[in-house]
Amino acid sequence: MKKINVKTKLIIFGILCILLLLFSIFSSYLTPYDPNAQDLSMANQPPSSEHIFGTDRYGRDMLSRVIVGSQASIYSTLLLVAVITVFGTIIGIVCGLSGKVVDTVLMRIADIFLAFPGLVFALAIAGVLGGGLHNAIIALAAVSWPKFARLARGQTLAIKEEAYIEASKLSGTTVIVMVFKHILPNIVGTLLVTAVLDIGTMMMELAGLSFLGLGAKPPIAEWGSMMSDARSMLETQPWTVLAPGLAIFVSVMIFNLFGDTLRDFADPKSRGRRS
Amino acid sequence: MKKKLTLLVALTMVAVMAICGCSCQSGGSSSADKKMVIGDTTFNSENSEETVNPHNSYNGWACIRYGIGETLVHYTDTMTLEPWIAKEWKNDGANTWTITLKDGVKFSNGKAVDAQAVKECFEHLLATHDRAPKDLKIASMEANGNVLTVTTSEPNPALMNYLGDPYGCIIDMQSSDMNTGIVTGTGPYVVKEMVTDDHLTVTPNSNYWNGTPKLSEITIKTITDGDTLSAALQTGDIDAAYGMAYDQYPKFQNDKYQFSSIQTSRAFFATMNMESPVLKDEAVREAIAYGINKEGFVNTLLGGHGVVGNGSFPDGFSNFGGDKVKEAKKYNQEEAKKKLEQAGWVDSDGDGIREKNGQKLTIKWLTYPSRQELPLLAESAQASLKEIGMDVQINNTANHKQFRKDKSSWDVYASALVTAPSGDPQYFFTTSCLPGSDYNYGGYKDDDVTKLVDDLSKEFDTNKRGEIAVKLQDEILDDDAYVFCSFLQMSLISKKNVKNYTAHACDYYEITADLDIE
Repeated sequence: MKKINVKTKLIIFGILCILLLLFSIFSSYLTPYDPNAQDLSMANQPPSSEHIFGTDRYGRDMLSRVIVGSQASIYSTLLLVAVITVFGTIIGIVCGLSGKVVDTVLMRIADIFLAFPGLVFALAIAGVLGGGLHNAIIALAAVSWPKFARLARGQTLAIKEEAYIEASKLSGTTVIVMVFKHILPNIVGTLLVTAVLDIGTMMMELAGLSFLGLGAKPPIAEWGSMMSDARSMLETQPWTVLAPGLAIFVSVMIFNLFGDTLRDFADPKSRGRRS
Repeated sequence: MKKKLTLLVALTMVAVMAICGCSCQSGGSSSADKKMVIGDTTFNSENSEETVNPHNSYNGWACIRYGIGETLVHYTDTMTLEPWIAKEWKNDGANTWTITLKDGVKFSNGKAVDAQAVKECFEHLLATHDRAPKDLKIASMEANGNVLTVTTSEPNPALMNYLGDPYGCIIDMQSSDMNTGIVTGTGPYVVKEMVTDDHLTVTPNSNYWNGTPKLSEITIKTITDGDTLSAALQTGDIDAAYGMAYDQYPKFQNDKYQFSSIQTSRAFFATMNMESPVLKDEAVREAIAYGINKEGFVNTLLGGHGVVGNGSFPDGFSNFGGDKVKEAKKYNQEEAKKKLEQAGWVDSDGDGIREKNGQKLTIKWLTYPSRQELPLLAESAQASLKEIGMDVQINNTANHKQFRKDKSSWDVYASALVTAPSGDPQYFFTTSCLPGSDYNYGGYKDDDVTKLVDDLSKEFDTNKRGEIAVKLQDEILDDDAYVFCSFLQMSLISKKNVKNYTAHACDYYEITADLDIE
């Protein structure tokens, strides 16, 4: 069987990612029913032609809630990944370019965050801040930025020793210009690949926090909280758990495959071997 | 040498396995050594039940529930009084009660229960408990042999009813350890080990006066999560469960398990914050009362395991049940919309939420998760009230007591309360409807209600008490100070080999001398 090359895979998974994003953007127009409308007379209906994913205990259409839930789940994840990437990168570049004291202080702070198990620490933060999707994002962001900070710092330290950076300094270029013109363009690829690879993980962790009751509040449809709400009915009404679970599985899979392919594509050795 | 060593290791392993096997067997239930494990959602600090000391907060429920303490009077399943430690009681028509104790009642340490011991117990109760002094109104007590004469500061027709409350458990003040909360009662079991929020182990009271406890040991495991409780019963880690979630019931509706169910006066109801700027508008309170789909909540979300609330007490409850009061507002969205429109609440910007004077009709709904029905009620009300143009923001938190103190943080507080724990109506009105009373969280105040409660507290005639209680419910419903959504049908679930694990209307008696396992 002929192997699909990395570029083709990248295009396929890229298109799937774009479709997923478009799907979530227009999700409110795609729902067959109002996702928050309760109809207690239709509660706990198994999947049928009328309700493809069945209904939940409030008689809400599960398909509609899964569709509209993509907004909260995917947007929140992308926002989270964007926040930790940007924040971590800023800290990393500052550490890489600045003197020893700033570098040491910031990296030790990062070490403190890395010393705790990520999700457990996020749980503690979310617990203190209180429930809600925003607080869940803050909690996960608080524990996830050091990874990007370390990566950006390492890359910056390597680049700043390059001859063209020295030349740039001698020509009187300001630090800001140097960062945007010489450093960022050279490290953004690695950071982007890492960020894309992180989307799936972050989606799972965000769903995990929601599952534990520290995420979206009712009646917002969010896949993790939907699974949490229905977990007691896993044996009796399994569709109420499986439908959002399937959505998480498919989305995480698409983002992970896209991230893997992007990494392969960005790696010249890997590209040369596989294409 | 090597062979000897191998043999030694092998023998050691066999010995260890044999010991393990023996110890595992000893954990099972044989006729000589009958042990039982009950999973319980309520024995925990979040529920104010940290110990079994009945004089501390709601700990008395644990004392009486787990067979450690007993009260002077016992409630039947129709919530009428029958003798327990007391043989008989009479009132002189005013402030004096004469209570005669049964002969032969003993504390678990073997000491006889006489009037002096009961007096000492009540003296400590009145000095330490938050509710008891207000309920009992005891001015003085006199002990003479087995006769206790109680004088109240004012006529208190419900005194004996209140003495059946769990805080009325008779404990020996000389041997009870009030620091650890392990008390000496008269019940069929005594505390062997107590680890708050984890478990309570009780063993038979060898001095029990009213029969022989059938089990050699009972462990009450604190399991607050409904799914864990369900899994524990399914896997056999526990033999019986208290507080199982309704949606788990289908898993146990088969030959392996049995249910014991009974109607209780535990109400799930919404308290209106009368100080809230939005709820000061009577039309909004009326609209909420019309906008909650009580029937749907009970029949669908509770799976029919409850009854729809009308008044403060369940329909058919004594002579003051909900069926006696004028009909409470039923789910009627059109009527709710009409009330709001008449009051000037209109949706002028087309977002589905009404406004008045530029203020959105937003209701902050405070509730808590430890009663599984309450989050369901909140989400159901959120959807049905949205249809009439209200934006309900739910705060479902275990920290509800803290939020409750801040009146600006909530408009509606949905909670659960046993409204007639003593079978008498007075308790609910004195604790929840008088200005400054303990459970009047919404700050409800109505002069007619205050007058009626005063009348009720002085009336000895049962029929007249019932009439006053009905009038009081009418007044409260007229003011829309409370919306009574449903009353709990309590079910205890146990394995088929468990005997006499029976639900009672008052929700106090769980472990009795008759409880057995085959």
